[in-house]
Amino acid sequence: MWNKRLIACARTYPSAVLTVVEDSGYPRSVRCVVEFDDARELILFPVRPLDVVGRQGSACLLFHQHNADLSGQRELLIKGELREEAGKLFLRPGDFLTGSGRQDTDRMPYAGSPLDIFRYMMLGRRKARAYLAKRGKPWTPRPWGKMLRYLDEP
Amino acid sequence: MGTLHLPPEVEAVFREFRTCEFTTVNRQGQPLTWPTEPYYDAPEGRLIVTASIAFPVKAYNARRHPQVAMLFSDPTGAPLSDPPAVLVQGEATVTELVDDPAWSYTMFKESVLRQPRARSFVSNPLARRLFTFQFQRLAICVQPQRILVWPRGDRGQTPTELEVRYVE
Repeated sequence: MWNKRLIACARTYPSAVLTVVEDSGYPRSVRCVVEFDDARELILFPVRPLDVVGRQGSACLLFHQHNADLSGQRELLIKGELREEAGKLFLRPGDFLTGSGRQDTDRMPYAGSPLDIFRYMMLGRRKARAYLAKRGKPWTPRPWGKMLRYLDEP
Repeated sequence: MGTLHLPPEVEAVFREFRTCEFTTVNRQGQPLTWPTEPYYDAPEGRLIVTASIAFPVKAYNARRHPQVAMLFSDPTGAPLSDPPAVLVQGEATVTELVDDPAWSYTMFKESVLRQPRARSFVSNPLARRLFTFQFQRLAICVQPQRILVWPRGDRGQTPTELEVRYVE
C-alpha cells in the first residue's frame, strides 16, 4: 500500500539500501539510488544495482540518516516484492515500517518531542515487562558503578 | 576463532563506522534491514550488534535464521577519508547480555563516547530507571563467512571478495 507521507520522507534521502535473500540463505544488501513512480505506486532503480541482477521476490528498502554524533536519527523500511519487467527492475511496496511505529514520520522517537520520548518509554517498559514475564525471572541488575567508572578510564 | 586477517582499510570501517545496515530474515523469508550500531570484537574476529529486550525481533529472527548480513555503507561520523563500503555475510549466535563480558564494557564506552548526549543520560539514575529496557539487551554475535568490498564505496563496481581468514 502506497503511503504518501512516508514516500515524501523517502524522497529526501540521496540513496537507500536494497536487500534480497540469496539462494544460500544469506541476505545481500547494496546501496543504490531510487526513483518513485507515484502513478503506478512503484519504486524504480534508474541504475541497476549489479548485486541483485536477476533476483526477484521478497526484498526490502531501507532509508536512514543520522548526524555525526548519532543525533537526529530517521529511519524508514519498505518491505515489498522485487520484480523485473521489460528489462526494468522495480520494487512493489507492501508494508511501510518506521523505527517509531508511526505511519506519518520517519523520525525516531528520541529525536522527537518530549511527548514522543514519553510514548517511547511507556512502550519500551511494557514490551520489556512482557519479555521478562515470558522469561520467568528478573534481569540481572547492571553493575552501573563499574560501568560508569570504566567510562572515565583512559 | 582468533583475530580476522583484514586489510587495514576494512578493519578501520569495522572499528569506526557509527552504523551498519543489519539484515535478518523473518519466518516468511522476508529480509528486514535496520540501521544498527556495530561493535568489532577484534580479539574474537566477530562483529556484535545488540537489541533491547523490548524490541527483540532482529534477535529472534537471527536465532531462527542465523544467516545475517551487515552492510557498512554510510560513513557519517566516521573519521575516515574515502572509506570502502563493506558487506559481511555471517552466522549469528544470540545470547542474553547478562554476564558482563569484558567486551560489553568496551562496547558501552565506545557507544557513549560517540554520542555526547548519552553521557548525562547514563549518569542519571532516574533516566536509567525509567529506560531500564535500554540496558537490558540481547547480543547478536556475527562470525563473518564472506566479506565483499567496494573500494571508495563505488557501488558501480563489482565488489572484491576477501578471503575470510583467522590468525591465532
